[in-house]
Amino acid sequence: MSKIKVIPCSGIGKVFGLLARESVLMVTEEKCPNDTETLCLAHVVTGDDEVVAKINGETCITMDGCAKYCAKKSVEETGGVVVKSHKVPDFMKAHRGEEHGTGTALTEDGWKYAEELAEILADDVKEIKSGGNVL
Amino acid sequence: MINNKIGIISCSGEECLGGTISRLAVRKMMEELKPGMVSTLCLPLFIAGDGGEREFAEKYPTIAIDGCSKCCAKRAIEKYSNQVAGSVDVAKIIGEAKALEKPLSTRHLTDEHKEFIEQTASKTCQIFDEIAAKQ
Ligand code: SF4
Ligand code: SF4
Repeated sequence: MSKIKVIPCSGIGKVFGLLARESVLMVTEEKCPNDTETLCLAHVVTGDDEVVAKINGETCITMDGCAKYCAKKSVEETGGVVVKSHKVPDFMKAHRGEEHGTGTALTEDGWKYAEELAEILADDVKEIKSGGNVL
Repeated sequence: MINNKIGIISCSGEECLGGTISRLAVRKMMEELKPGMVSTLCLPLFIAGDGGEREFAEKYPTIAIDGCSKCCAKRAIEKYSNQVAGSVDVAKIIGEAKALEKPLSTRHLTDEHKEFIEQTASKTCQIFDEIAAKQ
């Protein structure tokens, strides 16, 4: 089985995009490096043959920064099978009032939230690997 | 005046170091070098957005900052919006091999990375000033 693609959006204006990116990097670089990898979303949207070959029909998890769902939509448009899609604000309830930083840098609370998001993604990976139905 | 703003869009490549540098160079332009004079947009919004985002590069002269020589941002902007007014390839500044190193969390930025961001932002600034002088 090829590695599960875990793809964040490329949100740059607000902290949500950075939270998506950092949480995905925690999964692909630290928590599940043997089972996951990420792809450049900007490369995905070019539709280049090279990236289509990498993603078409592959199991993907997306983490978006807002309800525009750019990562989910772009991955699906390119033939990726998004079995689990999240957006950063979905898990904000328990973090109301916290300052998470900016699109440039996270605060301590921001890093804690990114870690929590990474755990959610890592659980998805475990579920997919064990054959669970995460759709 | 909003009409005088210059657009800067990075690829934000999630797959390699160059993408992290391109993203942080845009943030540096927004926050430190040209505050209030830069307009940016999440790159995938060109494709996934449905609120006129594709007109971005028609509205603003736009500089693309790309993390590697695939130049995804430049190509996507030109495919979906308009010709770019300028373009920066991080790989030409820091070398292709460096640019293609593993993606970097902002937690692990070293002085060397900060220097790469500085050089990329400085090149972008130079193009920015040339465009502004013609406006
Ligand atoms: S999902 Fe939202 S934050 Fe992410 S790239 Fe799209 S518009 Fe930007
Ligand atoms: S230009 Fe390079 S780093 Fe940027 S999105 Fe494309 S492949 Fe990734």
